[in-house]
Amino acid sequence: MTTTYSRRQFGGILGAALSATALSGTAAFAQAGAVRLIWWGNPERDKRTNAVVDLYQTKTGSTVSPETYAWGDYWQKLATQAAGKSLPDVIQMDYRYIFEYARRNQLAALDEFIGSELELADYDANQLASGVVDGKTYGISMGANSMSHVYNKTVLDGLGVTLPDSTSWTTDDWVAIGKDIKDKLPDGMYFSENMGILEPRLQTWVRSAGKDLYTPEGKIGYDLEDLVAYFEFWKMMQDEGLTPPADVQAQDSGKMEESMMATKQGVFNFLHSNQLVAMQNLVEDEIDMVMIPNSGPNAGQYMKPSMFLSMSETAADKAAAAQLMNFFITDPDANDILLIERGVTGDASIRERITPGLTETEQKIINYLDIVGTHVSPLPPPPPANAGEIDRALRPAWESVAFGQVDLEAAAKDFYENSIRSLERA
Amino acid sequence: MFLLPWLIGFFGLTLGPTLASLYLSFTDYDLLTSPRWSGLENYEYAFFHDRRLGNALSVTFTYVLWSVPLKLTVALLLAMVLDRSVRGVAFYRATFYLPSLLGASVAIAVLWRQIFGAQGLVNQMLFLLTGMKGPAWVAHPDYALTTLIVLAIWQFGSPMIIFLAGLRQVPQDLYEAASMDGASGWRQFRKITLPLLAPVIFFNLVFQTIEAFKAFTQAYIVSGGQGGPVDSTLFYSLYLYEEAFANFRMGYASALAWLLLVIIAIFTAIAFATSKYWVYYEDEGR
Repeated sequence: MTTTYSRRQFGGILGAALSATALSGTAAFAQAGAVRLIWWGNPERDKRTNAVVDLYQTKTGSTVSPETYAWGDYWQKLATQAAGKSLPDVIQMDYRYIFEYARRNQLAALDEFIGSELELADYDANQLASGVVDGKTYGISMGANSMSHVYNKTVLDGLGVTLPDSTSWTTDDWVAIGKDIKDKLPDGMYFSENMGILEPRLQTWVRSAGKDLYTPEGKIGYDLEDLVAYFEFWKMMQDEGLTPPADVQAQDSGKMEESMMATKQGVFNFLHSNQLVAMQNLVEDEIDMVMIPNSGPNAGQYMKPSMFLSMSETAADKAAAAQLMNFFITDPDANDILLIERGVTGDASIRERITPGLTETEQKIINYLDIVGTHVSPLPPPPPANAGEIDRALRPAWESVAFGQVDLEAAAKDFYENSIRSLERA
Repeated sequence: MFLLPWLIGFFGLTLGPTLASLYLSFTDYDLLTSPRWSGLENYEYAFFHDRRLGNALSVTFTYVLWSVPLKLTVALLLAMVLDRSVRGVAFYRATFYLPSLLGASVAIAVLWRQIFGAQGLVNQMLFLLTGMKGPAWVAHPDYALTTLIVLAIWQFGSPMIIFLAGLRQVPQDLYEAASMDGASGWRQFRKITLPLLAPVIFFNLVFQTIEAFKAFTQAYIVSGGQGGPVDSTLFYSLYLYEEAFANFRMGYASALAWLLLVIIAIFTAIAFATSKYWVYYEDEGR
């Protein structure tokens, strides 16, 4: 039955596509010279970005055609467009993918525009450096970002708990607080979400031991024992009742609204700092951020570029594309709209301009990054090509431990060996 | 001439991509760079090295072997009930058909996630009736696939409609004659209904098996696109999709698609080969 329907729908789509081509024949003419812009986002980001696009069109009289997708669909869309040689001119890019796209000649080097179309004299040099691949600039950072533990301040205040200075606390301190308060928490609420499946949390763990997820050569950068210790820690948290049972935790498929914090089942949650506003929108209680406790002697966290603006190698009018990028990064009016939704900008004058007008929650992000900035280790090398697959494989690996299906060490070993195999297959 | 629109569609939208995917299945293709010929490498990996593929096959076979017979049984039972009651039959028919229209949609899969969640409807009823607290069914590796099978069975509407049409074709005088000879209801069902309905059952069986092999939407939504927990709902089609669009191995995914085609073809061939032993057509032996 479905076949009939899909065929019928297909006919509909075909018809629509045909009529759309007929219509767009004229539209394409009118849009000649339009700069195509693509980004991944959320409703809030889409609203702000579209407002900036409108502003740009009124100010300059040029046209922009925007496209937006959710993170999960975005990379499929982009890869398909790259395969069809029809990448949009200006592309929101992630640190995970920028090397891959740049080295496969999909992105344009921006160096020739810096100083002319791209006015970056005021921009933080460290942030700019994060967009450099093999000596050339392929992306301009849209803002800085770091990982964090976000916590429900209202609940902790109600219990009279004050957290110690998070720049120096350890996982032991953190667990001790959890054990202290776990019986006083409301029914169905746990001390923290379980972070066993979270690759960035694993990264802070191994960095704290002086290692990293990957070496600069693109090999696994940590040892099997580190992974075993990581799994043991989160299994202990689950067994102690500090994190929810496996089946409750597994209902979180990675969407913010399904997180333990948003569903009122956890006091602590993992979060990237630029997501604080979005998370606060989902929670009635007041929330705040602290640094992730370290499990070893080294600083596990680092400042990372939240996202880049990159230009496609196939962009028809590269100067026009560069102008649009410049508008997003340096125009004061545009940044009055964007604020810090994409991370805290590296442009000093913009930052000074927008800070007083920020909400209390947004101010927390700025303050947090000020603290983090002095207690971080350097940006890790970019992940190798098949890192995305390994990231996804961590979920079933951890869950098989959490559900008690397999022996913890066997699961860790399996994941570790599969990771090596994935990298070899890349 | 009048076939032209159809032919363009067939060659441009069906045959072309099909042949392209056959070619791609022998290449290494990551979408960003041009495909590179790799011979039988993809097939070799699929047959001898891919452990997740084995799991995906086992999940898919479990799903097909449970959901298809159960769905057909429910469909046949309800069709027989509806075949008897005359009053309001159109209303019931429409009502029972409704889940099939909705079932493949994203909205129902989202709803399913809620119903079988930790705080979902099923657990609330369970708590009211027995006082037990149920697990989060959709998020537990032991039960997640079962909830998807239940979802599939619930969409019994289209085979039911086809059964109903089939039942209407069975001559009533056969039943009358059988009743006069004192045959019980069960005997009538076995000796009259089932044999005469066999072609319809056969059609539904083949059709639903193919559909079940291709199941995608429900698992994609219910598991949040990951086939979890612990790969327990990693359907073949879901794994294929992940390889193609998340891991950017379009060449390997094409090989997987061709293997799926072969598997479905084998199952269909088995169904056809055995059909001569149990499917009777009325015009046979004339």
